[in-house]
This record gives sequence, C-alpha cells and structure tokens, in this order.
Amino acid sequence: MNEAPRQITLREWDDRYERLQTRGVRQPVYGGPLGRHVADGDTRLLKLRYDSSLAALRLWNFLLTEEDRLRAARDAGKKLVGTMKDLGTVPVMAYSLDNLVAFYPDGAWWIPCVMEVNSGLLQIADSLGIDESFCPVRAMLGAFVTGTHFPIPDLLTCSVGATCDDFSAIAQRLNGLGHPILWWEIPHRRAPEVEEEAVQLPGDFSAPKGQIEFVQSELERVKTALEDLAGQSLGAEALAGGIAKANHVRWLLAQLRHLAFTATLCPMPALEMLIAEMLAIHFCSDQDETIVVLQELLEEVNLRVAAGTGYSSADAARVFWVNPVADLQVMNFLEDCGGRICGTEYLFAHALDPIPQTVPPMEALAQIALADPMVGSAADRAVRIVAEVRRFGAEAVIVSRIPGASHCALEGEIIGEIVRQECGLPVLEIEVPPLTDAMSPTLRTRLEALVETVENRRSR
Amino acid sequence: MYAGIDAGSRAIKVVLIGDDGFEIIAQGQVDQGVEQDQLACRLFEQVLADGGVCRSDVRRIVATGYGRNAIPMADTTITEITCHAVGVRHLVPDVMTVIDIGGQDSKLMRLDRNGKVRDFAMNDRCAAGTGRFLEVVADQLGLSLGDLGPMAALSRSPAAISSMCVVFAETEIIGLLAGGRAREDIVAGVQTAIASRIVAMAGRNAESPIVFTGGVARISGMETALQTALGRPVAISPEPQMTGALGAALLARRQHDSY
Repeated sequence: MNEAPRQITLREWDDRYERLQTRGVRQPVYGGPLGRHVADGDTRLLKLRYDSSLAALRLWNFLLTEEDRLRAARDAGKKLVGTMKDLGTVPVMAYSLDNLVAFYPDGAWWIPCVMEVNSGLLQIADSLGIDESFCPVRAMLGAFVTGTHFPIPDLLTCSVGATCDDFSAIAQRLNGLGHPILWWEIPHRRAPEVEEEAVQLPGDFSAPKGQIEFVQSELERVKTALEDLAGQSLGAEALAGGIAKANHVRWLLAQLRHLAFTATLCPMPALEMLIAEMLAIHFCSDQDETIVVLQELLEEVNLRVAAGTGYSSADAARVFWVNPVADLQVMNFLEDCGGRICGTEYLFAHALDPIPQTVPPMEALAQIALADPMVGSAADRAVRIVAEVRRFGAEAVIVSRIPGASHCALEGEIIGEIVRQECGLPVLEIEVPPLTDAMSPTLRTRLEALVETVENRRSR
Repeated sequence: MYAGIDAGSRAIKVVLIGDDGFEIIAQGQVDQGVEQDQLACRLFEQVLADGGVCRSDVRRIVATGYGRNAIPMADTTITEITCHAVGVRHLVPDVMTVIDIGGQDSKLMRLDRNGKVRDFAMNDRCAAGTGRFLEVVADQLGLSLGDLGPMAALSRSPAAISSMCVVFAETEIIGLLAGGRAREDIVAGVQTAIASRIVAMAGRNAESPIVFTGGVARISGMETALQTALGRPVAISPEPQMTGALGAALLARRQHDSY
C-alpha cells in the first residue's frame, strides 16, 4: 500500500497500470491492464469503479481470465468438472485430485451484465424455452450452446432437490441438449425429531443424522465419478488435505471479512468484497492462485486498517447485504450513496464456514452441504443473518432480489420481518436485474433514503 | 427563510417557509417538463415574488423528488422519503405511517414516536400502482383524473383487476370493456388493486394514525380504497401534493440551524 485507497475507473486503472509497469511492478501470468477485457466485449467494466490497489487488480484479472485459464488447464491435460448448483462442496473433492479442475458454469449469470446483454446468451435461453421468468443464470444455457465462455466440461455435476426450482429446470434443459449431468440429491434441511439423532452443522444449524448419511451417500456417487474421470482414487487422507486447503481459503476470507466489515473506515469496497467472497465456492478454477489472490488482498486490507485509511467516512451507514447482485454496478452505488458494506449473506454463507475436520472427510462434506442456507427454510436463513448483523454491528439490511429466482419470491419478506423484529433495523428490498441503467435513479433513491434513515435513527 | 423544491415526475413544487419554521410564506407548482432546472428556477422566482421576498432572503434550499439532482440552485438534496415524512409529520404531528403515492412511485414510511423514519418500502421499478397508472386508466376510459373518484363511487361491484402492470392492465381493461363491464366498476377495481398493492408493502406493520399524501391523494376515492384494504382509517394529508416540498424546506431550516 503506497497511496490512499481510491475507487477509480477502468481507464484510470489502465493509466495507472502503465505507470506501474514503468516502475517494474510484476504481475502474474494472467495479469495485464483491465482495458483488454473490454476489447473482449466486457463493456460493463467501463462503468464500474475499482479499488486502486495492486491486490484488487490481481483479483479482477483473476476473475476475468477464468476462461483462458480453463482452456490452458485442458491443454495441459487436466480434466474439467462443471459443478452446477454447488456452492462449495464438490469442488473441494475435485481439487483434492491432482488432475481435475472444477469450475462453476452458473457463474455465467454475470455475462449478460458484464457484456451489457450483447453476448446473446439470454436470447439463446429464450429460444430454448427458458425465458425471463427464470433467474439470469439461464445465461449458462447460452454459454453451453455457444461454447465461447467456458470449455465444455468433461463431467457435469448438479445438486438437485432442495435447490432453486428454476435452476433445476435450466439444468434439465441442458441435460436435454446432450450434456449429461450427474445429479446428486440434497434434501430440504429440517430440524431433527425428538427421537432422531441430531447433528450440529456449521452455521448453528442442526439436522437429523439420517439426512447427513443420505447426503454423504449422494456425495460418494459424485466422488466415484470424479475418481473415474481423474483415473485415480481419492483416499481419506488426500480428501482431508483438500479440506484443509479449502479451509485455508475460508480462513483467509474470514479474516478479510472481519477487517472489512469492522474497521472504522471501510478498507475495501463492496464490489471487490463480493468478488473475493465468490472465490470461496469454486476457487475461480484455480485453488492455489485463489490463496495467493486472497493473501494479497488481506495484506492490503491489513495495511490500510493499520494506517487508518479506507473508503467512506467513519460515520458511513453500515449496511448488511443479502443475496448477490446480477448487476455489479449496484455495489458501487452503495458507497456513492454514503453507505459501506458491513456484513453479507450471498447465498453461500456455509462456503465461508470451516468444513469440520473432526469427523471423517466425506461426512464433513455432507455436513457442510446440508448447512447451505438455500436448502433450509428462509426463516433459518434469517436467523443466521440476524446473528451476522449483530456480529458486525450493521445498521440496515438490504435484501437484493434476483429477478426470476424462485427463492427470491418470498424470502425477502420473511427475512425482512425477522430482522425487523429481532434487530429493529430498517430493511430495504430491491430488485437487481443484469442491467440496472434504466432504473438506477430509483435504485439510488432507495439506497440514499436508507442511508438517511440510518442517520436519522442515530440522531434520535 | 428556507425553501424546499420537490422535483417530482409529474410536477415541480416549491414551498417557502419563514424563519420560525411554522409559517408558509408562499408556495407554487408547475407541471414537470424537459428543461426541469429552468422550470424549477422560474417557479422559484414566482414563489419568491408571491411571497414578496428576494432570493438573498432565502438562507438554504433543499431539493427532493425524482429530479432533485438536476436542480442546481439547491444547496443540497434529500430523498423524498425523508422529506414527505418530515412534511406530513409537521402537518399531522401524531402520524405513525405515511403512504405517499406520486406520479411514478408509491412509498410507505413507518415513523417512530419522534417522527423519524424507522423503515420504508417502495414500489418496484415500474409504474404499477402509481399516479401514472391511474392516468393511463383514465385516458383509456375517456375520463379525467378528477372524474375517477365520483365514477368509482357509483360502483356496486368493483371489477377484479389482476394486473398492476400498466401495459397488461390496458389489455385487461380493453377486455373488461369489451365484456360490457361498466366504467365505474373498472375504476373502482383499479383503485382497489392499487390499495391492495400498498397493503402488500405495508405488511403487518402499518401503525395508525395513517396519513395519505402525494398527488394521488387528491384523487377522490383512493383514500376509501386504502381504508377498506387496510381495515383502518386513513387521513388525507393537508395539501398532499406539497408535503415533499414542505419537508424539504423544514429540513433546510434544520440543516441551517445545525451549522
């Protein structure tokens, strides 16, 4: 950290990059100026504002080069596993095997945003009968059809059952297009009956032992498929090592989140924090590099906190954010409107929890899979959100709806009601489509009004 | 003295208040247009003239409303949510819930005992359940906005309007008219549907007294529809179209006093 942190445009980053190059600053193999991604069609990047640190540059380049890195991995003889509707379980197994690379085809949901709907992916989904009544993750279908945003994986897995209805429909359509899927079932997590043996899960949830055993048996099927693909077996020791490594990623994120959400001045903007958190679920196709990226970010944040620098003023409204946004620009709006990020629940809170290391590894993975906030009730999720809101001292909550996502239809009201009741905080529900340009004035008004409400409540 | 400018989607409103914060010196409104800043400027000058005061007498100006960021003469901006709450609270001191339906959006603000906004909800991005929606309906039925209330009062059996989307509702109304449904039933049905949408926003948290403000509060019949839907009394704010500008002026005074 040599300068005070700033949020800068892509063009400003490119100028800065040039200056850094002349000073001999080294970049990873996937590094380079951000502007080159615009040439690939990622025009939305021109409208975002980015953290000015080298650590953030590395994070963005890591994210935006995933396709190239996947193709390079295949060229190097690695096998690719597409882990759909899986927020941090199967990738842990895949990365425990030497020659597998797991990635997250669902990540294509950001392509319509990043390419400002010029990718044509949504139109392809439309033509396949998966129209805008479905979540924007339907863009994934178009990506499979064109084969231009990620290589077609050697194995596709998808969890099904207590997951999004619309994702299941999208994945079924994909299966029908000739992309065979290994389905694994995840049941709706329920509280144990009196006579049932209960298992404590990460996130303070509990489930009947029978459910854990069932999920474990499902994951065993996936493990066998991964072993077949890799041509090697995955022993308990190797898997335990993979879990330890995944937990290291989670530990780095826990440190990063704690500092970012509790420092007097926010040391890292909401947008970069969102991207960083996303690394937890599939490591952006490279687990080792994820660790390096997060270590650099953490180092930068540590330096900023120690130096007492950061974004926003010390009295910025402390906002807890629920659900990821389809339009990345909206995260910039938060700081524009006088807020700062102070806690998040982006649908994969369990992927930030340490995977238990005191039980056999497959059982541990079953436990973490069942701790997924999406497979329980919205009320369960709200309880976890309330705990996090209190932990980070948030003053308001934003529940961001994803248009078409079946889970968003009712959860906002339930989460809102419980947060209001338990914490007495204002809760704002917003809907964020892949491009918010047409509605940005009203969106900003809501965010500004939320910040004003927080400020007024302080002065009571 | 202090000024508030509410640059709404359908009209610009200006309120000028005295130093004591109680006396309204002058106020005015004009239809919104393309050159919003000039319209606001002219209206402001007119209001100053009506009040017999000079620009230099005005210590602070706060702009609010949809177009608040395009009013260069304002010293600062505050959202309409905060301004309506302050304006209504000034006029109805015991208010606990404010319903504001304007030209482009609808909002519900819950206040605490001190009159501060505790929480709020706002309609989604489209014109569903707003003044613009009523305008479209009135146009389609060959009525003016002022006709809607008396027309709705004639209804004995309000039509069920299932769509709150302006585009879909147009189609639905065409269908109802083609099916021989009386205009009064359609208007009453539309008002009921808008009220139901507000109730959905309110959830179980609409505490009385409830005050209805914004331009749509001037359309008779709407408060009755809201009362029926909420199951409790709803009072119309005095000068409902001006409460945002009034709140902005009051906040201008508070800000000035706090410096």
